[in-house]
Amino acid sequence: MIYNIVFILLFLLGLYAILTNRNLVKIIIGVNIMESAVFFWVIAVNSREGVLPILEKGSEIIQVANPLPQALILTGVVIGASTTAFLLTLLIEIDKFANNINLDFLKGLRD
Amino acid sequence: MGLPGLIRKNKREILVAIILLILGFFLLIVFNSVPEQRVVLDSTAGQIIDSGVEKTGSPNLVTAILYDYRAFDSLGESTVIYAAVSSIALILSFKTLPISSQGLSFISKRTFSLVTPFVFIFGFYIITHGHLSPGGGFQGGVILAAISIIFCIIYGSAYDYENVSPGSKTLLETGGALLFVFLGILGIIVGGNFFSNFGISPAQSGTLFSSGNILLINLGIGVKVGAGLAIIFYTMIQKTYLEE
Repeated sequence: MIYNIVFILLFLLGLYAILTNRNLVKIIIGVNIMESAVFFWVIAVNSREGVLPILEKGSEIIQVANPLPQALILTGVVIGASTTAFLLTLLIEIDKFANNINLDFLKGLRD
Repeated sequence: MGLPGLIRKNKREILVAIILLILGFFLLIVFNSVPEQRVVLDSTAGQIIDSGVEKTGSPNLVTAILYDYRAFDSLGESTVIYAAVSSIALILSFKTLPISSQGLSFISKRTFSLVTPFVFIFGFYIITHGHLSPGGGFQGGVILAAISIIFCIIYGSAYDYENVSPGSKTLLETGGALLFVFLGILGIIVGGNFFSNFGISPAQSGTLFSSGNILLINLGIGVKVGAGLAIIFYTMIQKTYLEE
């Protein structure tokens, strides 16, 4: 399935960004890419071509896409946005504290 | 320096890439063995698709789940945003006044003042038609927050601070959250259950007022999310401007 390949590429791209970068902003971006990959996969695996879970009046009940995963993913997107905002806030505080957001610099820094 | 030098220099990256490629191979095997998902009529999703419109009056089944079947989950979701806004405001203290730029050029300001009403109407449309078309409180609220953020960038945060006080945004956010909880408690009084939907008219399905208090819940969440994201942005921008 094509969406499996796209999901794994995106997921590993985010993981690669987290493991190889030493800049905290890029690590947060990597976390967000992994998150988006998971959201994409759950939506893609539960959807049918061109059928939204929005029923029109008078139409027959056709096999529409499953609306439950979409509602769950909406929750996930909102929580992801909140956690990203919180991470960036902590980043601002780290930058204010150390004037640097590189992990190599921050490692072993005390007081 | 050639290829050996490159390998020596990027040893960490190459090692990580090899490990991730092996991991990706195994992930591909596992994910390709996931069977195709089909909606069975006996399952929860099948029941919602089958009778969701009659029970909630909302043709958009995702909205029906979010604001009727599982409205309690949406309450928890908006609590998460509320907690994020509160903790961010706690960490980056709210009191400091910004020393900001004067905004962008005259042309940008005029253009933005022309475009704003239409963007506002679009965001409001997304919020109020959440049960008829794709959209809803969260999505429309983000559009309202985007207006606020662009306003701050184009006009400068000092002008914004004079005209829209932070207190009004806090009022909007808590007001939206309180409207949401109030509708839940009203559901106990009228319908017997927390967040029970009242006043639905499935016969008129497809019109604006067909789905009872889903419209009102959407309004509350939209205002709350828009104000909440705007507060997050303003709190961050104030502190960074102060550093200069």
